[in-house]
Amino acid sequence: MNLETIRDQLTTKNIIFGLLICFFPLLMYAVDYITLLLSYRNIYLPTPSGDYILRIVVQVALYTLLAVGLNIVCGFTGLLDLGYVGFYLVGGYTAGLLMVRLGFSYWMVLPLAVLNGALWGLMRGAPTLRLTGDYFAIVTFGFAELLFRMVKNEIWLIGDINGFVKNIPHVSLFGIKLNQNWHHYYHILILLALVIFVTYRLQHSRIGRAWVAIREDEQAASSMGINVSRYKSLAFAVSAAIGALGGAFLAPFWSIISAGTFQFWESILILCMVILGGKGSIKGAVIGAVILGSLSEILREVLSNFPQFSGARYLLFGIILVLLMRYRPDGLIFKKT
Amino acid sequence: MEQFSEQLINALVLGGIYALIAVGYTMVYGIIELINFAHGEIFMFGAYFAFTLVTDFNLPFWVAVPISMLLCAGIGMLMDLIAYRPLRNAARLSALITAIGVSIGLQNLARIIWGARQRPFPSESLPAFLRQGIPPSEPLPAFALTETAIALPGGAFLPYRDLCIILLALVLMIALNRLVSLTKIGKAMRACAQNRVAANLMGINTNQVIVTTFAIGSALGAVAGVMVGVKEIIEPTMGYYKGVAAFAAAVLGGIGNITGAMVGGLLIGFAEVFGAGYIPYGYGSGYRVAIAYIVMIIVIIIRPSGLFGKSTATRA
Repeated sequence: MNLETIRDQLTTKNIIFGLLICFFPLLMYAVDYITLLLSYRNIYLPTPSGDYILRIVVQVALYTLLAVGLNIVCGFTGLLDLGYVGFYLVGGYTAGLLMVRLGFSYWMVLPLAVLNGALWGLMRGAPTLRLTGDYFAIVTFGFAELLFRMVKNEIWLIGDINGFVKNIPHVSLFGIKLNQNWHHYYHILILLALVIFVTYRLQHSRIGRAWVAIREDEQAASSMGINVSRYKSLAFAVSAAIGALGGAFLAPFWSIISAGTFQFWESILILCMVILGGKGSIKGAVIGAVILGSLSEILREVLSNFPQFSGARYLLFGIILVLLMRYRPDGLIFKKT
Repeated sequence: MEQFSEQLINALVLGGIYALIAVGYTMVYGIIELINFAHGEIFMFGAYFAFTLVTDFNLPFWVAVPISMLLCAGIGMLMDLIAYRPLRNAARLSALITAIGVSIGLQNLARIIWGARQRPFPSESLPAFLRQGIPPSEPLPAFALTETAIALPGGAFLPYRDLCIILLALVLMIALNRLVSLTKIGKAMRACAQNRVAANLMGINTNQVIVTTFAIGSALGAVAGVMVGVKEIIEPTMGYYKGVAAFAAAVLGGIGNITGAMVGGLLIGFAEVFGAGYIPYGYGSGYRVAIAYIVMIIVIIIRPSGLFGKSTATRA
């Protein structure tokens, strides 16, 4: 990426989009301010508060980060990972437990959680290297379920039933507590930008091309001199590390985590995002996550008024998956290149 | 001794139920090489249909169960027609993802229709001898009959309910075995499992065979669902947990192999009940659900073809 290409990217559209992303919290707080002013004149707008929207945007950005991470295994190397939430869990509990039980600072915990995630990714990857297709999918699924059972049962480790870790302290930076939604917004924005940058650079490197070669034909890739085991392991480790990064962000963001956060359906939701956008494309994963993440959060909000229909959210995701596979198996937005 | 015989009965019951569900997975996999994730949900619907028929429609239990089987067979066939048939020649993973989508969809549909809470099967709608019995206060001589159970030597009781489940599972297994090995449709199924294209060229209507396979598997799953409802409890997630355990049974027996699924079901049932009973420090009961996952992962990694399957290095 040299200066020429950067200059080409600086179109008016991109600049406006970039500015919107950079100053989004300001916009939201402006909305809040206007609503406040209007309320003095007894005009009440039926819109949700800007601060609340900001929090949802942070949540969607977190999903985007996970979708980009899952895309490495599902999209680039073409293996179906049904247990991605397992790494999210590893990151969440590494961060949560180290911060609560041992009083570590977040900035120390963050790299540890990422490393731990990569380690678990390699651990899961080693025995599954020669599996492909549905057998790989089933093992990943079982692995995430085992981790879920573990945090539910190992009370000595977690310290509470059902995997609850409570009172996770806020992140502090130079003595300032990062507990406002706009703090979280810039925090996740930086992490997401970092992850997208790393993934993008990997995709357009020797490594990324090796992954795609493995996806297209493992045997041919191997006979072209690609060390299939090594590159697959690398994909597992990087993907898992990103998942763990998401978990490490989640712990102080929610300040409470429980086993219920990391259920199988969460994996499927993230998978759905990757597939919606089109497997194997970072842009696709991002757009898929933004669409489905927002839809999910809006539905969660709407359905909270109708507890008996709380299942409708996942019913919809199920229908989306079926329809996508039937009509657009390569994704709604981007065709696989 | 008393505890042991009770565990043995529970293991047989659970094993029979798993075997009934597992044949549904394994038959479909044998023919179209698809892990029908949604099969567990069919099993759950079987329990709920029977439940609704006896509570809201006041049908007798013996009428409700066959109707529930028919309804589930219908859902299984619809599932194939709507979701899987259009993907028959698409990439294998597309079909698997579709199956997962159907599974989540059906599970949450059940949550919307019947609510998320657990429900026991209403015991007043069951025939008297199938109800949960109260153990008599004084010990009975061996093989004495009470209203709901047989006394066994050693002080344990064998409830008629459990006996019925074990016997019914056995009868259905034998019937399925006969069906597959003796009838014309069974022959067609085996031909499709060997080579679907060749079977089609020989004049077998493969689509019809596949739909029949779905129907049979789903009907058996529905029976298993009613059994679990009568013995344990009905809830929307039951299909997910029991379904995965049954899938583990199918993998253990060698996926695609019907006898393997029956044996695998029994083995998983035993592993789960005795594991939960005898692994100390609460690990057994806490990880009860996980035992099936562990068995499944180990089998897939060490011997993907299972106990009875043909040995292949990988599964594409």
